Amino acid sequence: MNEEKDVEEQPKPLVLEKLEAHHSDALLAQDEARGSVVLVVRKDQAYAVLEYLKTDPELAYTYLVDVTAVDNSQMESELMQFDYARFMVVYHLYSYQGQGRVRVKVPVHENDLRITSVTGLWQGANWLERETYDMFGIDFEGHPDLRRILMPDDFEGHPLRKDYPLRGRGERESFNFDKQNV
Amino acid sequence: MGLDFVGQGAGETDGNIITTTIDKVVNWGRKNSLWPMPFGTACCAIEMMATLASKFDLSRFGSEAIRFSPRQSDLLIVSGRISIKMMPVLKRIYDQMPDPKWVISMGACASCGGVFDTYTLIQGVDQFIPVDVYIPGCPPRPEDLIDAVLQVQQKIASGAAPKGVEVVYE
Ligand code: SF4
Repeated sequence: MNEEKDVEEQPKPLVLEKLEAHHSDALLAQDEARGSVVLVVRKDQAYAVLEYLKTDPELAYTYLVDVTAVDNSQMESELMQFDYARFMVVYHLYSYQGQGRVRVKVPVHENDLRITSVTGLWQGANWLERETYDMFGIDFEGHPDLRRILMPDDFEGHPLRKDYPLRGRGERESFNFDKQNV
Repeated sequence: MGLDFVGQGAGETDGNIITTTIDKVVNWGRKNSLWPMPFGTACCAIEMMATLASKFDLSRFGSEAIRFSPRQSDLLIVSGRISIKMMPVLKRIYDQMPDPKWVISMGACASCGGVFDTYTLIQGVDQFIPVDVYIPGCPPRPEDLIDAVLQVQQKIASGAAPKGVEVVYE
């Protein structure tokens, strides 16, 4: 059988249908990768879209699998596509109602790193957003406790940004032995 | 060993008197009852657990009494990656162990950072705590860890001071 034909015949995923009906102005792009729908959503409406995905009884993406980010500063193609937004905050959701997985990506500009925290929707976002803050410096507004989670509290910089040197900036020699809570 | 049985004849004390020195007896006791403090932070710790379990059975060498309190142990086994956030913890644990104490640096990561030449990983714990025996490998097999314990035992039996002790000769 022809595989391509198979793909073509598949019906449009319910999540796309419903979002196009209710939040069409929030959608910047859509795609499909590894069996999950990928949506790129405008930052100012990201929270509303995520809330809709979670609370809509048919979709019911109740499980927040992961929150992370991507630094696209060296990915010219991605940069051009989304108005030179350096970061892409990524939410992975899963629905137990049979809708499977969906990935929501939100472009974030370097000069405005704020984005609304989703801890109000999923308690589990707490540590995931702290990690994203720690590694990329994304500022999750409304987060109850936005502290570093992996790096030491007095660490400077955000090491998963592409401009951070792999071997660091001398922290291995000059880290603080005393100030830590050990 | 320096433990000598005295007497050749048919007297009552034959074979029942041992002459030795205090140092030798103490070292003999120490060497055969090393109590390890495991500091397992990564995959090497899995091999360390295997070493302690029944198949490799470190207790054959007197070191099965794992102590999770540094105050009750005299052999620190650093097995795994140590980050800049973990190093102060490791140093503190080392400082809490009573003298005399020995340190085994198990695996490439603990000894030199291994493949993780990155911003957050200590490139060798010996920059901050004295290490007596290094074990190469990623991860080392349990036999390697047993060999390292035996080398620590040899070192103790020979009367050499642990790496962490400054010996002042008068
Ligand atoms: S040396 Fe290898 S096995 Fe041991 S902690 Fe490092 S990566 Fe893991």
